[in-house]
Amino acid sequence: MMLSYFQRLIEILPFFLKGLKMTVAVAGLGLIIGTLFGFLLGILRASDKKWLTWPIGVYVALIRGTPFIVQIFIIFFILPDWGVQLDAFPAAILAMSILGAAFICEIVAGGVKAVDRGQWEAATSSGLNIIQKLRFVIVPQAMQTILPPLVGQYVLLIKDSSVVSVIGVMELTRVGWLTVVRIPEGLMVFSLVGVLYFAISYPLILLSNRMERKMSLGQVRL
Amino acid sequence: MIKFEGVHKWFGKLHVLNDINLHVTSGEVVVICGPSGSGKSTLIRCVNRLEKFQKGKLWVDDVPLHDHGVNLTQLRAEISFVFQQFHLYPHMTALQNVILAPVNVRKMNKAEAADLGRETLTRVDMADKFDSYPAQLSGGQQQRVAIARGLAMSPKIMLFDEPTSALDPEMIGEVLDVMVQLADEGMTMCVVTHEMGFARQVAHRVIFMDEGELVETGQPDSFFDNPQTERAAQFISKILTH
Repeated sequence: MMLSYFQRLIEILPFFLKGLKMTVAVAGLGLIIGTLFGFLLGILRASDKKWLTWPIGVYVALIRGTPFIVQIFIIFFILPDWGVQLDAFPAAILAMSILGAAFICEIVAGGVKAVDRGQWEAATSSGLNIIQKLRFVIVPQAMQTILPPLVGQYVLLIKDSSVVSVIGVMELTRVGWLTVVRIPEGLMVFSLVGVLYFAISYPLILLSNRMERKMSLGQVRL
Repeated sequence: MIKFEGVHKWFGKLHVLNDINLHVTSGEVVVICGPSGSGKSTLIRCVNRLEKFQKGKLWVDDVPLHDHGVNLTQLRAEISFVFQQFHLYPHMTALQNVILAPVNVRKMNKAEAADLGRETLTRVDMADKFDSYPAQLSGGQQQRVAIARGLAMSPKIMLFDEPTSALDPEMIGEVLDVMVQLADEGMTMCVVTHEMGFARQVAHRVIFMDEGELVETGQPDSFFDNPQTERAAQFISKILTH
């Protein structure tokens, strides 16, 4: 009995590792793109120009205020009506990026706003242009506020990536669904799914904790 | 070098600069004093356009700041500003603070800039602190690094906004010494300060402001010993008792 249990595990493991690979691909690409746009939008959102901050605020509110599954359905099933037909994989990455950018935008804006006004003034006075000010003075300091919640947000977003299974992306959760209807060991299947998500998330959780501890000691130097 | 002509500025309804006319020539050291809220900081912050003004004309180094389309970053590279709260970059060492603008604005190569940075820090008597972070320095030391940061750009004008007000009394002297040295070297300086000793020693002119107006201007000794206006006299008697 025990033996067949393990045999089953060995048997299904390759599919799950494939699913894991897909989860890493979807979440990873989504996070990278989401981070890029999140930083861009977050820096703009921290400005004092209403015409810039207002539309970004609307976007963030819409994305944060609606379920991810609805966003995915819109991208995958409704956009084709308007002539934008995406395969499941690019649709998933687009949805993840849009979701990630919204949350990361808020974290980045908070971090940028937390930098003392005097830092802007000192950098401005010395003749640095806006890109140089951000790159050398503002963002490095904002990173101290941004990093711990950012890594925490990554963990949440990785778990949210399970939702893309609904449009047929063969990632970890989808592999779980497909397997559980074929074999009797349901607990094993979803325990395995859980363990594999945990394997990605836990190192990030540790990293986030460590950074938070260092921040509170004021030791982080970039 | 700096010329205000009928400059007005409002913060909402508050009239913070009221018809300012002032001409600072090259090499001149001008001390600006007055009660808090009199507009003296705002006045010098207009010179490098940290503040905008709504009416009047202002030329700095022959650049008309009242015109649109002025290249502000270029102008600011020629003007150094020293803040009350230092505003050093906390994530950089003293040397990195000093060479950031020379490398990125003046496009100096790193080795050259590092030499310049060490030389400038030595001038403000910080030769042993090149690699210290601001948090490891005392207030007086931080302010001297801030002055070196300004000096490293070889500015045409240096503006000081209450540079010693945030310092413990025993550190004021070391910062003023550096400023006296600069004045002696012929730097054009506008200094918002209540340090009368400094004003008497190096200022060519003292300007007294109150409620956004430029009330009185005079030689330091005659201004402090024999003020012409009631408001200035009141102010001087107040800072003397402290």
